[in-house]
Amino acid sequence: MSVLTERRPLGDTAKAWALNAPAITVITLLVAYPIGYSFYVSLQRNNLKRPKAKRFIGLDNYKALFSDDAFLSALKVSAVFVVVVLGLTVVLALILALVLNERFRGRGLLLSLALLPWAMPGVVNGLMWRTIFDAKTGALNGLMLQLGLIDSYQAWLTSSTGAFLFTALAQVWNTLPFSVIILLAGLSTIPSELYDAATVDRAGAFRRFTQVTVPWLLHPLLIVLILETMNAFRAFDTIYVLTGGGPGDATTTIALLDVQTVLTFTDFGLGSAYAWVITAITLIISVGYIGLLYRKGNFEV
Amino acid sequence: MSTVVQVPLRYRIPWKKIALYVLAIAFGLYLVLPFYWIVAMSFMHEADALSVPPHWVPVNPTLENYLGFVNPNSAQELVGGRAVSETPYSLRNSLVVASATAVLNLVLATFAAYSFSRLKFKGSQVLLVLYLLTRMVPGIAIIIPFYLLMRQFGLLDTYLALILSYTTFALPITIWILKDFFRSVPRELEEAARVDRCGWFRTMWSVFLPVAAPGLVAAAVFAFMTAWNEFMFALFLTSTKAAKTIPVVAANFATDFNTQFTVMAAAGVLAVVPPLVLALLFQRKLVQGMAAGSVKG
Repeated sequence: MSVLTERRPLGDTAKAWALNAPAITVITLLVAYPIGYSFYVSLQRNNLKRPKAKRFIGLDNYKALFSDDAFLSALKVSAVFVVVVLGLTVVLALILALVLNERFRGRGLLLSLALLPWAMPGVVNGLMWRTIFDAKTGALNGLMLQLGLIDSYQAWLTSSTGAFLFTALAQVWNTLPFSVIILLAGLSTIPSELYDAATVDRAGAFRRFTQVTVPWLLHPLLIVLILETMNAFRAFDTIYVLTGGGPGDATTTIALLDVQTVLTFTDFGLGSAYAWVITAITLIISVGYIGLLYRKGNFEV
Repeated sequence: MSTVVQVPLRYRIPWKKIALYVLAIAFGLYLVLPFYWIVAMSFMHEADALSVPPHWVPVNPTLENYLGFVNPNSAQELVGGRAVSETPYSLRNSLVVASATAVLNLVLATFAAYSFSRLKFKGSQVLLVLYLLTRMVPGIAIIIPFYLLMRQFGLLDTYLALILSYTTFALPITIWILKDFFRSVPRELEEAARVDRCGWFRTMWSVFLPVAAPGLVAAAVFAFMTAWNEFMFALFLTSTKAAKTIPVVAANFATDFNTQFTVMAAAGVLAVVPPLVLALLFQRKLVQGMAAGSVKG
C-alpha cells in the first residue's frame, strides 16, 4: 500500500488525533468504560433489592449459568431463532434483490416499499403483528378464513411452536430491507460483460445464476449472514411487544431473559453475566466479519 | 438489465417477464399489507375493527383515535389509561431526543470523518476498526453500567441520558458514512481556499461543509432514525412522561389489556411517520450509506 511507503508529516497525525478526540472521548466514556464496569458487576452478587448482600463472588455468576435452566433454555431459543430468521431472511432477500435488480415498470415503487419495514421501529412492528395475529379479530385469521384456508379463527400465539414461528416471521419482515439493500448493492457491481460472456457461451439462465451471480454475490451474502446473525441474536423489541417471551418461555431469547433479570428481578450481577456471554458470542462473530472485510481488501483507509 | 437482448425469431411466451411481475406484486403486497392494516384500523371505530370477518377498508372512517390523544372522549378516558395521555408527550420527547442526537452526532462525526478523508496518520486504520467494533457491541452489554452511571449523576429520566447513549450508537456508522462521502469532495476546493489565506475553520465552514451537505444530511437522518427507533435503553432510562419516548409508550399499549386496538394502531402510525417520511425523502442517500457502511466496510 502506498500509504505505508510515503512519509507522513507529524503535523497531520497530531491534527488527526485532535479531530478524533471528541468522538473517542464519548465512545470511551459511554461504551468502553461501561463494558469494563459491566464485567466487574458480573463478578458480584449485586441485586438492587438486597443492597446489603452485595459482595464480590468471582466467577460464581458464570458458573451458575451452566446449571441455570432459564439461561440454557434462552440460549437454545436464541439459537433456533437465529437459524429460522436467518434462513427465511436470506432466501426472501435474495429473491427480492434479484427482482429489484431487473428493469420493470414499478421498480421504484417496489424499492420504496422495501424500505418501509426498515423505517418501522421494532416496537411498532411488534404492535402491528399483534393486531394481525390476534386470535379473535386478527387480520391473518380474517384473510385465511375468507380464502378458505381455515374453518375457524385460530389462536396463533398460544402454542409454543406457533408463537415461536410467528415471532420469527414478524422479525423477518422487519429486518428484510437491510439484507435486500446490501445484496442489491452487491448485484449492481456485477459487470454486465460477465453475463454477456456467459450468454455467448450458451449458458442458460440457471447456469448464469450459479456461475456468475452466486460467486460474485458470495461476499455480500456473507456480510448479510453475519450482520443478520447478530441482529437476530440480540432481537428484543419485537418479541417484547409481541409475546413478552411467552407462552411459558417459548420465545424468551437471551436478550429478553437478560432484560427481565435486570428490570424485573433487579439482579444486576447475573444480568451482567448474561450480557457478557452475549457480548462474547457477538464479538466472535464480529471478528469474523471484520476479518472478512480485510481479506476482501475493502478496508481502504 | 443484465441479459443480452435477443432478437426473437418466433413468438415466445415471456415467462421471465411474467415471473418477474408476479414476484414483484407478491413482494409488494407482503411489504405493504401489514402496514396498511394498522393504518386502516387507526381510522376505524372500535366496533368495526373488531368485526368478524374484518372490514378491509374503514366503513365510517373516523379521526377519533387520533383526536383522543389530545382530547380524550369519555370512553377513551375510561379505558385508555396512561399510555393514551402520554402519547403526545412521548412524541415531543422523541422529537427532541432524536434531533439533538442528530446534531451532536454530526459535529463529532464530521471532525473524525474529516481526519480519515484528508489526513494520513498513524493508527488511522486501527482507529477505524475500533469505531466499527463499538458498533458491534450489543446494547445489552452496556445498559447496566450505563443505568448505574446515570443514576449516580441523577440523569435518569432525562433527555441527556438518552441523547448520550444514542450518540454513541450512531457515531460509528455516521463516521463511516461521512468518511466515504468526504473523500468524494474534491481537494482542490480547500486548496483554493488556502491560497486565498482562509484559516482552517473558515475553509471548513464556508467551503468544505457546504459542498459536503448531502452527506451530512444523510448522516443526520441516519442518527435521527437510530434515536427515534431505539427501545431498550429508553425502557431502562425513562420512567415518566418527562422523558419516555414513543417506543416506550407504544410498548405500554401492548402490555395494557384494556387498550383498544384502534388507538394502539393510531399510536403505531404516529410513531412510524417521522422515520418513514425521512426514509422516503432520503431514500437514495440512505441506501448508498447503508450499502457503503456494510459492503465496503
